Formats: sequence, structure tokens, C-alpha cells
Amino acid sequence: MAASNEYRFQVNLSGMIQILSNHLYSSPKVFLRELMQNATDAITARKEVEPGYQGEARIELTGTGDQLTMMVEDNGVGLTEADIHEFLAMIGQSSKRGQQALLDGETSFIGRFGIGLLSCFMVSHEIVMLTQSIKGGPSMEWRGKPDGTYTIRQLDTQLSPGTKVYLRCTPDAAHYFEAEYVKEALFYYGALLPYPVTLIHDGVQSVVNQDSPIWLTRPELARSCRAEVLAFGERLLGEKFQDFITLTTATGRTGGIAYVLPHAVNLNAKRSHRVYLKRMLISEKAENILPEWAFFVKCLIWTDELQPTASREHFYENEKLEEVRSELGDALRTGLADMAENQTERLQKLIRLHALSMKALAVQDQAFYAMIHRWLPFETTRGHRELGELIDEGDTLYYTGSIDEYRQIHHVASAQSMLVVNAGYIYDKELMAMLPVILNHVQTERIEPDEVSMTFTDVAPAERNQYYDALRLADSALQRFRCRAEVKGFKPSDLPVLFTLSQESSTLRALEKASEESTDLFSSVLGSLSAGINSAGYSTLYLNVNNPIIKRVLTSPDNQMTPIAIEMLYVNALMMGHYAMNKQELEVLNQGIVRFIDWGLRANMNHEGDA
Amino acid sequence: MKTEMDFEDLMEEAYQLPSGPAKLGFLEEAARVADVNGMVEEAYEARSEIVDVATFCGYPMKALIAFSWQLGKFDQQPELYDEETLLWSYKWILGKMPDFPEISREKIMELLEDFGARFKSYGYSERSYWYYRFRIFMDFGELEESGRSYDKFRTLDRDFMSDCEACEQDEIMRYFMLKGDDEKVLELAKPILKGRMSCAEIPHLTLSEILMPLYRLGRTEEADKYQVKGYRLIKGENDFVQSFSEQMEYLTLTNPAKGIDVLEETLVLAADHEDAYAKMLYYAKAAPLLRRWAEEKESDGYRLRLPASFPYEGDPGDLLKLADYFAEHAQTVAAKFDQRNGNTHVSSLIA
Repeated sequence: MAASNEYRFQVNLSGMIQILSNHLYSSPKVFLRELMQNATDAITARKEVEPGYQGEARIELTGTGDQLTMMVEDNGVGLTEADIHEFLAMIGQSSKRGQQALLDGETSFIGRFGIGLLSCFMVSHEIVMLTQSIKGGPSMEWRGKPDGTYTIRQLDTQLSPGTKVYLRCTPDAAHYFEAEYVKEALFYYGALLPYPVTLIHDGVQSVVNQDSPIWLTRPELARSCRAEVLAFGERLLGEKFQDFITLTTATGRTGGIAYVLPHAVNLNAKRSHRVYLKRMLISEKAENILPEWAFFVKCLIWTDELQPTASREHFYENEKLEEVRSELGDALRTGLADMAENQTERLQKLIRLHALSMKALAVQDQAFYAMIHRWLPFETTRGHRELGELIDEGDTLYYTGSIDEYRQIHHVASAQSMLVVNAGYIYDKELMAMLPVILNHVQTERIEPDEVSMTFTDVAPAERNQYYDALRLADSALQRFRCRAEVKGFKPSDLPVLFTLSQESSTLRALEKASEESTDLFSSVLGSLSAGINSAGYSTLYLNVNNPIIKRVLTSPDNQMTPIAIEMLYVNALMMGHYAMNKQELEVLNQGIVRFIDWGLRANMNHEGDA
Repeated sequence: MKTEMDFEDLMEEAYQLPSGPAKLGFLEEAARVADVNGMVEEAYEARSEIVDVATFCGYPMKALIAFSWQLGKFDQQPELYDEETLLWSYKWILGKMPDFPEISREKIMELLEDFGARFKSYGYSERSYWYYRFRIFMDFGELEESGRSYDKFRTLDRDFMSDCEACEQDEIMRYFMLKGDDEKVLELAKPILKGRMSCAEIPHLTLSEILMPLYRLGRTEEADKYQVKGYRLIKGENDFVQSFSEQMEYLTLTNPAKGIDVLEETLVLAADHEDAYAKMLYYAKAAPLLRRWAEEKESDGYRLRLPASFPYEGDPGDLLKLADYFAEHAQTVAAKFDQRNGNTHVSSLIA
């Protein structure tokens, strides 16, 4: 016989386990999930032959220190010796009968027994399994080690049908064996399991999933037990929610609760929903089960129609998933539509927190946009406003196409009390352009910077020379703000001054401004360190010669009055430009007001004295 | 005279340079040119580089300023920029904050919360938040609170925004070091020393950190080996000023002559360092080294070679005076940290 060239792969089990723990699973704690899955599958299999059979799982913690042991027991089908050889000796072999069933995902089993059990090596150097099959035969013991060796022996005594797995914890994994931790983790994975999961520790027994709620499988009941639904969400998802929307698909084979996140979420946030397959937690981070725009919710979803990936943390992208995703999206949309119709306050609150998500959806879906447009917020020359208010003001809505354009015109536009929407943020430009389509009585128009009359006219040298003394006074008054004065003519003439920044000082100011609007954390931190940061360039305060007051300030400079007037005009320009003022500037504002009042009163008294 | 270069030229120059002050100079000029020309995205790019370079070559303040700017821009238009890179550098910034005694405890806690909220808003694991909380309380010298965060962060899942395992391990070592548990420190160092965990800064940091624990357990033979290996990795690198101090501390006890070599070779890096904490530790360890060296016969008439920029006016041959100079600086800075932290943790570290 010719020498065979066929060899078998020699798989290094400890290497495999390394791969599993570092790359397949996100955390060693999944060993509990895998054990629960095996138990669930075993019980499901037993129910198939004994309809109405009542399954249960018991988890017991005994010992302390390096004797700390966890036992996980189920009363499912159990394994015969042949089963053990089939599933535990051949990694990758599944307890699911038939490969095709596996690929279809249409099987009543979740786990892959052998691989699932391997995950236990992330927390234990030895796995001992005792099992008794319902098919009879002797009770068996299987002992596995991470190096891939194992022993099998028949037990002298006959156990009742089912499987027990014993794990002795490694020093590194001790915290995965703490009773409190185990209890939470079991709840986390098994909260929806249809059979009791009991934890036994220090002689105390407690059923971990005692209150598996009915409304999870029948979401239509959820609205009437609001408090309970919210509390359940908090326990499972770890956040205090205030609102939720129920989800169901047409087949009724997928459903759940979409909790509205209580904090703002970014567009690129990882979507992580918790999904239960056959009522057992399968994925904590399912990203692809809801449409892209649905990043304002965190969901508890149960399904029995999707197929998990190997790590069982996501689902295979297939047509079925596509279908489920779009149906869940519809359910969310319907929930929002209901709110728009019946509970506008609820919707308003939701939009305030999740405007971006809502805008993302509105861009895609005009009907939805029409429904919720009133509550969408925009930045405008009249502050942050909701679209409904802006429309009610009746003007044409002007908008800019970019933030830079908005910057360039908003001083002058606000000075002319012209309503301009800053549509430079993501989605806003599209929404503005679309608005007349969904509301035919509303006009919107994109505006370019040069359309706003902000052309400055130069002042002739001879005229400028007249202002020499006044400008000197102005420059010295503004010096401490790293600002200089210049005379120009511009419209509108009732705008006395216009403040512009050099790029460098604009950087510092932009920082202060950003922090004032959201958090002044970073600028105040910089403030503590500001000693070394003095290199900012000069900004410019344009004095409008077309303005009568400015004209007077310029033509009759007064050593006392002019500097204060200029300072006041400076801080006023800052206020109009929505720049954050520093302490020094605020002080100028306060003192200036008091001084002017004082001067005004004195002037009055002097007049009275004259009279 | 050099004519003004445009943004691309400056960035290209910068990319060709090794990390250090010269590279920073080019990057800062590039950022200025971008600012002047209204090239916001380029300015952002230049500042990303500044944050990266400055963080790891001794200019945490420059990093902070550039980062603050970036964060401001990012908040205005998050869709324009990559949040992963930005939030990753937030970790560096946050980690450096406690090293500035001028920044109050409250501010640091606020930064931590802001950091946590941002991570949360992107759906990243809370592990990073708890890990940095663990580190910050260590910096404050509040080991109990730090321990609570330690217990918490270990139970949370890693994600791609988590610090690498080697870095985490190194911080955990620091925790047990502060608790005085040398055995545990060395046990934790094992996977690093065996090369199973490593990154750009590990084992560099680790090899110096374990010297004193090994010394205290009488394992100087091993320590000597690691000292040589460790010093080779960090020599001439501005990022490892704290490690130089650990080297000096060990050499003071075992080989002061070699310690003086380390001092002379690294003082220029430490003196110009913006990280007040690392510099303080360095000065604190330089003092006893000089005193110990003064006791040696060979030190007779020895004058310490000081860098040209070093602001010490006295006689470089008066080793004891120099030692006082270093000690004084360290104590003054330590007192500032103590005042900020509201305890005597930092001064007890250098006592």
C-alpha cells in the first residue's frame, strides 16, 4: 500500500483556548453564559421528548480561596458515553443534529456544547462534568484539562438524569466566582429563561430569575406596567431610563423594549443592544439589529428567528436580519408617531435629548419629518430655537450652508435682527432645503456671506487724521485685551462697532466660547495653567463712522470718557458676538455701567444746579 | 534667512523628525500657518500630531493646549473629525492632569466625569473610565478609593478603546507598589518580564519600577540585570524621566558611581520637563544620590557636569549644596501637590 500523504491537523488545545479567550469572547465572564446555554439546550432537548417537562438549573458555590468551586447543574437530557465522545472529544462538533440545521439557524438549540464548555478554561484549570443520560446507561464522569487531555470513567452510583459541571476557580478569576457577581451575571444572562435558575451559596437558595416579566414576550402589555418596565431596564441595562417604546415584528417572533437613553448619544456611538435568543441572553452588543438612525435607544430584544455568529455577540447579516431590522425600525417609528399625535410633551423631551437621531431619521423620511419638525432644534441668530417657533415667526428662513459662512455673517445679521439659521451642522442643510417640500406655506433660502451687506468703506486719510487722538486713546484702552481699534464705514449704521478676531486669539476665544456653551472644564483647566500662554495675536474693533455716537466719540475725544466708552463698546461687541467674556471684561462691563449711571446722575444734578 | 514655508512643507519636515522639541516646533508653526489661512482641518491635523508628540516627549502642557483646541473644534462639528483618535488622546491628557499641581482636585474629577460621559456617549466600555479613576485616585494618594475603582474596572469588559493590557498591568503594579506589597508587584510584573505583555512603553517603565521591590527582597542580582536592560531601553528618551529617578534610587544604594552617570546623562531631559510630578521625583532622587556619592572616595574633587541651560549658579563641585538644591526643589513642588491633594501623600513618597 502506498504511503498515505494524508495527515490530521494537530490542534493545540491550550492555544485554542488562548484564542477563544482573547479573540472570540469579549470577557471571561461569558463562561457563565455558555454553561447556561448548555443547560438550556439540554432542557429544551428533554422537553422535546417529554412535553411539559419542568426544567431547572441550579448553581452552587462552595469553598473559599483556592478551593472555591462552582457547580452548575441542569436536569436536561444528559449525555451518554457516546455523546461525550462525540461532543467533548471533537471540538467544533455540535450537539445539534445535522449540519444543515446549524447553517439555517432554524434549530431549537443555541449552543455548541463542546466549544461552549471550553470557555470555562478561562476561569478554571479543570472542568469536571458528571452526567446521566435520559437514554439510560451508566452515569459518566468527564475530567478535562486545558492542555487538551481528558479522562472519562463510569461512576459506580447512578445519578438522576441531567448534567453537573464543576469548576475550581483560578486565582485570577476569583471575582467571577463571588456570590454577588454570579447572581448578577446569572440574572443578566438568564433573566428571561422560562425555567427557574437557582443560586445556592452559604446555605441560602435564591431563584435568580424569579420575576421574568410577561410583558417582555407580550409588549402590548408593557405600557400599563411602566414603572416595572423601567425598573427592569435599569437592572438589566444599568441605566435609569425614563421612557421606552415597545417593539414587535409581524411574525411575532421578534420583539422587545426599546429604552430611550437618558443621555445624549453621539452619531457614531456603538449601537449595543441586548438580545435574547430563545429567551437566553445571546448578545450584549448586537450592533446590527436596529437601523442606523436608532442610536437613541438601548434595547432588550428577544428573537427566535435570527442566527448568531460564532462569538454569539452579533447576528449574521442575512435577509432575515434585514427584514427584522426594518420591521423593528418601523415599530420604533410608529412609537414616535404615536407620541407626536398623542403625547407631544413626551416626544419633545425625547427630541431635546436625541435631536441628532431624530434629524437623521427625518432626512431619510419626509413623512416622519413632517410629523416631528416642530420640535427639531436649530442654531439661529436668535439663539437655539425649535423649528416650530421659527416658522411661527413668519419670515423667510435664511440659512447658511456651512458654519464658516454663518460665522462671517451672524454678527451683522443679528445686528440687523435678521433671522439666519446656522445649517452647517450635519443634516441641517438638507432639512432646511426640504422644509418647503413638507410644509408648503414655508419659504427657506440659502444665503451667502456676501449677500449680507457687510462691505466696509475705507475712511479717507484726511478724515482719519481727524480721529488721531481718539484712536490713540482707544488703542491704549484696548491694549490689555490684546485688541486694536480701526475706523471704517459699514452698514447697518446703527451698529456702532464690529469686533473681529485674529486667528490666534480666536483660538483662545473659541475655546472659552465652546466651554461656556457646553462645559468650561477645559478652558478653566487652561486658566489654571495660563501663565505660559500669552502669545495670542491682536483682535480688531472696527468703529463705524456712519454711526452718530461713534462719530461723536471720535470727534471729541475726552481723556476720561473716551477710553471708558471704547471699553464699553468693546464688551458690548463681545456680547453681541456671543463671545464668552473673561473676568476682566466682565468687570469693565460692570464698572462701566455704574460709571455711566453715576455720570448721568451728576450731569442731571449739575443741570438742576444750573437751573 | 528662511522664507515662510507652507503647511504641507512644514508637516513634511515634521514627519521626518524624531519625536522631540524640534518636531514640535515644526508642528506648532504648521498649526499657526493653518490657523492664519483658515485651514481648520489642517490645523486640527497638526494639533493631533502636537498632542501625540508633546505627550510623549515631556511637554504635557503643550499637549493639553492643543487638545483643548481640538476638543473645541470637535464639539462644534463632530462629524468632521475622527472621534476615536481624539478620545484616545483624551486618555493621555486625563492621565497627565494630576501631574500639574495647579489643577485642582475638583477640576480633575470634573475632567474624569467629562471623559466618562464622552466615552459613554460613543458607546465605549465604561472600563476606561473606571481604570482612569483608579489611576487618578492613586495619584491623589487615596488608595482606598483607588482600590474600589480597581475592583470595578476589572469586572468590566475591555474594548478597543481600553488601554493595552501591558499598560494596565503596569498601573496595577504601581497600585501594589503604593500599598507596599513588593511580592505582589513582582508577581504582576512576571508576564511583562517574560515578554508576554508589551507595548511602546512596556517593559521600558516596568524594568525600572521593579528595581526597588527586588532590592528590598534581597534579589539584587536580578535587579542589576534589569537595571542594565531597562536603562538601555530608556536612555536619552524624554518620556522616561520618572524611570530615571527609579534608576537613580536603586543605584544610590548599589552603585552610586553608575548613578552619577545616569544623573549626568539625563539631567538635561529632566530639567526642561513640563511634567512637574516626574521632575519632582527626579530631583528628589538626585539629592540622596549626590549625598551618597559625596561619601565615596572617588568623588573627591568631582564636579557634576551640569547642562548649559541649567539654572544653578553655585559651585558644581559642592555636591552637598547641589543635593540641597535638588531636594529643595522637590520639596517645594511636593508641598504644592500635597496642598492640592489635601494630604501628605506626595511628600511622603519623596521623604
